[in-house]
Amino acid sequence: MLALRNVSKIYRTGSVETTALRSLDLHVKPGEFVSVTGPSGSGKSTLLNLLGLLEAPSAGEYLIDGALSHTLSDFERSRLRNEKIGFVFQGFNLVRDLTIFDNCDIPLRYRGMGGTERRTRIESALERVGLASRARHFPTQLSGGQQQRVAIARALAGSPRVLLADEPTGNLDTHMAEEIMAMLEGVNQAGTTVVLITHDTALAARAHRQIRMLDGIASEIDAVVSDTLTLNASALA
Amino acid sequence: MTHTLLFGYYLRMALASLRRNLLLTSLMVVAIGVGIGAAMTTLTVFMVLTNDPLPDRSERVFHPRLDAQDMSGYAPGGEPHDLLTRLDAEQLLREKRGVRQAMMYAGFSVIELDQGDDMPFRQRIRYTSSDFFPMFGVPLQHGQPWSAADDEARARVVVIGADLNQRVFNGGNSVGKLLRINGEQFRVIGVAAPWHPQPTFYDLNREGGFAEADQLFLPFSTSRALRMGFAGNLDCWGEVDKEEGQLGLNSSCAWVQYWVELASAQDAADFRAYLENHSSQQRQNGRYQRPVNVRLDNIPQWLDYKRVVPSDVRLQTWLAFGFLFICLLNTTGLLLAKFLRRAPEIGLRRALGAPRSAVFQQCLVEAGLIGIAGGAFGLLLAWCGLWLVRQQAVGYAALAGMEAGTLFGTFLLALVASLAAAAFPAWRACLVAPASQLKSL
Amino acid sequence: MDISLVLAALRRHKIIASLVVLEIAFTCAVICNAGFLIAERIERVQRPSGLAEDSLLRLQLSAAKRGDQDALAQTRTDLAALRAIPGVQSATVVSQIPYGDSSSNSGVNLRQDQDAPTLDASVYLASPEALPTLGLSLVAGRDFSAQDYIDWQPGTAPGEINIPTAIITQATADRLFPQGNAVGRQFYSWGSQPTQVVGVVERLTRPSETDDPSSMEYSMIFPVSVPYTSGANFLVRTQPGQRDNVLEQATAALRESGPPRIFGLNNGSIESLRDRYYRNDKAMAWLLALICVSLLVITVAGIVGLASFWVQQRTRAIGIRRALGATRVQILRYFQTENLLLTLGGSLLGALLAVALNLLLMQFYEVPRLPAAYLLLGLAVLVPLGQLAILQPALKASRMEPATATRSA
Repeated sequence: MLALRNVSKIYRTGSVETTALRSLDLHVKPGEFVSVTGPSGSGKSTLLNLLGLLEAPSAGEYLIDGALSHTLSDFERSRLRNEKIGFVFQGFNLVRDLTIFDNCDIPLRYRGMGGTERRTRIESALERVGLASRARHFPTQLSGGQQQRVAIARALAGSPRVLLADEPTGNLDTHMAEEIMAMLEGVNQAGTTVVLITHDTALAARAHRQIRMLDGIASEIDAVVSDTLTLNASALA
Repeated sequence: MTHTLLFGYYLRMALASLRRNLLLTSLMVVAIGVGIGAAMTTLTVFMVLTNDPLPDRSERVFHPRLDAQDMSGYAPGGEPHDLLTRLDAEQLLREKRGVRQAMMYAGFSVIELDQGDDMPFRQRIRYTSSDFFPMFGVPLQHGQPWSAADDEARARVVVIGADLNQRVFNGGNSVGKLLRINGEQFRVIGVAAPWHPQPTFYDLNREGGFAEADQLFLPFSTSRALRMGFAGNLDCWGEVDKEEGQLGLNSSCAWVQYWVELASAQDAADFRAYLENHSSQQRQNGRYQRPVNVRLDNIPQWLDYKRVVPSDVRLQTWLAFGFLFICLLNTTGLLLAKFLRRAPEIGLRRALGAPRSAVFQQCLVEAGLIGIAGGAFGLLLAWCGLWLVRQQAVGYAALAGMEAGTLFGTFLLALVASLAAAAFPAWRACLVAPASQLKSL
Repeated sequence: MDISLVLAALRRHKIIASLVVLEIAFTCAVICNAGFLIAERIERVQRPSGLAEDSLLRLQLSAAKRGDQDALAQTRTDLAALRAIPGVQSATVVSQIPYGDSSSNSGVNLRQDQDAPTLDASVYLASPEALPTLGLSLVAGRDFSAQDYIDWQPGTAPGEINIPTAIITQATADRLFPQGNAVGRQFYSWGSQPTQVVGVVERLTRPSETDDPSSMEYSMIFPVSVPYTSGANFLVRTQPGQRDNVLEQATAALRESGPPRIFGLNNGSIESLRDRYYRNDKAMAWLLALICVSLLVITVAGIVGLASFWVQQRTRAIGIRRALGATRVQILRYFQTENLLLTLGGSLLGALLAVALNLLLMQFYEVPRLPAAYLLLGLAVLVPLGQLAILQPALKASRMEPATATRSA
């Protein structure tokens, strides 16, 4: 589904170079639930940006659903993002001046969908996250957890193949966090590939595969293996 | 992505966004409106002044000029006098080298009404030869103009305009009625339909060519036989006829307005050669002292030479468009600020799959909406501006009004201007990198 | 306040800074030129004609019936009637007037046989009492005496009658006789005999504009009585304050003193003729002023709008500064300095553009060179206005609490 081959990402500001990712190799199969953990500055967010076609790698290749990302034009990349990828961000990123309904509507509009189909999808997505009754409300009228659920609904309304979640539970209390995780697992069981970035190792462990990032280098952690092995892997990096 | 469907979406988003920032929106609408208002007001005045008075034939109706004056004040490369001497004009008329030709001048007459005790009144009068009417396409509603034979016979006939017909005879078919002009009786043989070329290219002396239409026409030959009064430009340099004075046939005075119609614009070269030939002959027999120097301008060239569009009006028009440009610059800055302030939302939309073109289009729709609103405001201002211009009530100012074309033109200009102003900000907006806007750790 | 810091920050917002500078520059260019044009027009509109304009009335008549009446005699009767009106100081008949519709010019030669005339002057044919009626001030020589006046014979052409005496304007005298002392000298204009200068008046402007501004004052007065039927002007000088009453009485007097005649459409005060003459210049000056004011308002509003945006964009940076100890005043000064740099830069660029614009105008429209002082006009207006515009957004920035700024939105 998603394949990063020998991918590096270097940021240049003035004369300073920062290497966010080094020679990364990552393959995610359809239907997998992958979690990515690591300290701040390890390159997790950069990884997600690359996976989500928000940024291009400085070196290496990225294949998404068989298509090489660097051969795609901006138009094609946007289309791919629109149709195949769903985003859930830590900061929710809902447009404050639009209703919940209109927020979920945004990606569907760019798909050129007709009015009836859009309404059906949005209503069923909001139903899934349990917020169908709040469709006409504004984000400021909702709690943090509800806003995150709306973000998930927005991502789900388009029936994406891949769901990329960046610290979706970061701003939520444990009860809310549990609800969100359950939702993600449910989505994954329904067939969507999920890549979850989190600093919470307990949540990370619920994934099929765990990736650990440190200084731009990713290493795979066997889900079965215990914490001792995790420590060994990081020592090797 | 189907773009037409999204237009409605962009419109809805734009309206909501504009409503939210009412102050900023009003500022932009006012800025565009004021610029458009000024531009459309001055442009309308300019269009009035550049009007072609005879669009169907102005290219082939010409005004010849000859340099008949003596050497006093001669400057090489100078322009010949605007007007012909009577001798030259009568000769050109006799030789009939054009399809039609007429000689003419203006005067003032006193009209006495035989019935009633209304006071006599002064009426501007045009003395001309018979070709005037067909050459300039003067429409007649009753009767007909006089003929060349009438010119020869110095007939006591007149053609009157629709307004004069109304004033003196209360309208209707006045052919055959008598009119007392300067104490003499004249018979009306034709009544013209309302005819008002703008400008009156054949006489630009009053109000720059935008005075009221001529209402009274009388044969040139008759006017000279009766020694009727003259109103116009007169330049004398030599001998003056003892009996008839400055307007005499042999007087060295330039005062006759002469116009000729050719079959097509291409015949101008031939006619110019004829004028040069005439000038050479006059030099040979000693009448002309200056080197051969002729001009042949058609109506548009003549109006340009006589500067019918005053330089003030040109300056005002340029000034107004310069003002519009600065208003647009202002709008560009404000739109840039507005769009960049929305960078987080733009980043999000891009992340969710909007291509750059979608962001660009959304910005343009918003700008277009501001443009339409600015156009409406500008239209209101232009209407006021033109009203102010018309308050001068004289000359071309009285004609400065709002037409259907002005309406359409205003909105078109406003739309094009606002889209042009928005092009750069919209482009910058669509370049917003999604990654930089999304709050990721 | 470290200018380099301000400049560095501006460099990061190059585009908006450039837009502000450009807008100020173009506005400055327009204002400098417009200000100059307005001053020029005002100067033009205030040109003195030499007449006592505040107390002069002009009346024109034409004959209703073509008869053999002695028009000259009738004219003299009319003048007597006009002079008899209480409130009238004096009255005369003149062939043409400044701001009038007709104009007659003649070449003036110093020697009879000249290739080209020395100059071209406007000819005023005046009846007795012309100088006191018009209010012209004699600076040399004398006014015409009763014997100087000639009656115009109907049908005479200008070339035919000889003019023994004439009064000329100072400008004409200077041009014809640069060594001075024009009184007693002779020139050739009408007829075949020389004309002698008996008096010089300070100023009498021509009725119509000339291409060369210096020749606007070339006028001569010939003592020729013309009849009212030739399109001449009755001029009545009233006592101070009596002008409007006298107009009515004058019209009535003329109706009674002769046969039924047609009155001209523009009879009234010379001042109203002057207003009509200069109406285009006044309209132009008003338009220029309106555009300048609008431009300034729009530019100021634009600066306020952009500044508000800027402040909002740099909320975080401001908050950090405040947290690090910057005072309110220092934040305020920062934005004011920034604005000052922009408006100064814009005004300097604007001065260059103003010169370019002036050169363009000089080429296409007869506009004189822009005096250097006007280049400062834009600066003098835009810099203070710019500071005014930035005040509100800068105050808002300075009042920001450090905590709100650093809290990520």
